[in-house]
Amino acid sequence: MNEEIKAIWRSFYDWVVGNGPRPENEVIPDEPPPDLPFTRKPKDKFSRFHEATLKERYNQWMEIHGLHMFSALYSGISVLTCIVIVSLLLATVAELPPFGDERNPANNEVIRRYVERGGKETGAQNIVAGLILDYRAFDTFGESAVLFTAAVSVLMLLGASRRNNADDEQAMKGNDSGKNFMQRGPPSVRLHTFRRDDAILRGVASLSMPVIMMMGCVVVINGHLSPGGGFSGGAILSTALILCANAYGFERVHSFFNERTFITTSSTALMIYALSKGYSFFTGANDIHSVIPKGTIGNILSGGLILPLNICVGLIVAGTLYGFYALFSEGEI
Amino acid sequence: MIRIIIAGALMISGLFVLGIATIGIFRFSTMLNRIHVAAKCDTLGALLVLSGLIVLSGFNVFSLKLLLVIAFLWMCNPVASHLVARAEVRTNPNLESICDFVDMTEGGELNHDADN
Repeated sequence: MNEEIKAIWRSFYDWVVGNGPRPENEVIPDEPPPDLPFTRKPKDKFSRFHEATLKERYNQWMEIHGLHMFSALYSGISVLTCIVIVSLLLATVAELPPFGDERNPANNEVIRRYVERGGKETGAQNIVAGLILDYRAFDTFGESAVLFTAAVSVLMLLGASRRNNADDEQAMKGNDSGKNFMQRGPPSVRLHTFRRDDAILRGVASLSMPVIMMMGCVVVINGHLSPGGGFSGGAILSTALILCANAYGFERVHSFFNERTFITTSSTALMIYALSKGYSFFTGANDIHSVIPKGTIGNILSGGLILPLNICVGLIVAGTLYGFYALFSEGEI
Repeated sequence: MIRIIIAGALMISGLFVLGIATIGIFRFSTMLNRIHVAAKCDTLGALLVLSGLIVLSGFNVFSLKLLLVIAFLWMCNPVASHLVARAEVRTNPNLESICDFVDMTEGGELNHDADN
């Protein structure tokens, strides 16, 4: 019974994979063992083994058996290391406190403070937004700065190669500094460029792009009221930009978003972030009354600095993601 | 009760379509055949499963959201399959040896040596 099921399953598998029926009593020919690349065959001087000195004997022994010894030692040590690490980690898991216990060290006064007084202190209905943009805003500022730095360095690297290519073309035309061209090598040639004139994609993009843009704006602006915020909303906005670039070409996006706009918006957003959070850190640390109103929980205009900070983070993320796409596919924003 | 039976029938037929399409993706050998099967799988199978869920939940906001999901899938999935197939046709130099196709573009833009 079991064998029959196995045979049926095997024939079904062969049919799916496309091998056809498997012949009965299939004999797989024995392949000759391949030549090991690092072993040496014994040489002539091996015949006068008794005449060799001790060092020569050691060298010969290492030539013949060294690789085997090393591989055996290597596998033994790796197995030992794995066993030690796995047992250490398992022992640690056994020592961990039970999941969900109220006396766990993670359930301390920080959590209680966030849950009980987070709404009143930050003015945000979404506790996570209040956490990452009010209590821990310094961390989020670092993340935005990392994104911006990555985008700027990619812009510098790829933009430098583009400028070099432009110089090379000028050099080729002017024919006065051909040596320069030889040093840098020819400009890169693309084999297949994707022509962005697809009528079907354009129709769907014209329908869906406004919806995606609006969705991104809603997610950014409602960051302190509902799940979402600057990072996710910025990603949605950049999706709309990338869709626009794919359907209508990068020239269409350049008409409202180019390198200059990207640098300006990103640095302005970072500066606003740094200044506003610097103000609130300063007032908080020195016990000065902050003039920024918290507002009533649940309104759009509430949460103090969280709404403008979300907009800043959303702008930076949207620009950075679209900038990466544009730089890697076209070589320019 | 009748509602549960109808919803179950719809969802099971949707799962049947998805399973057949999954087999087909492995069964076919060339990329264009596979994209044909995968597009059918996502449109028809997801439509049947989601309409089963709509029947199960009745007429409320949740089913309206599911209708929006169906509209989104029907709008985007054929376009995505079309773009993947188009990229294959444009970049595969051995296309004539795999299948018969007629170059219907103006002036034969699929000539790979041209600067398309």
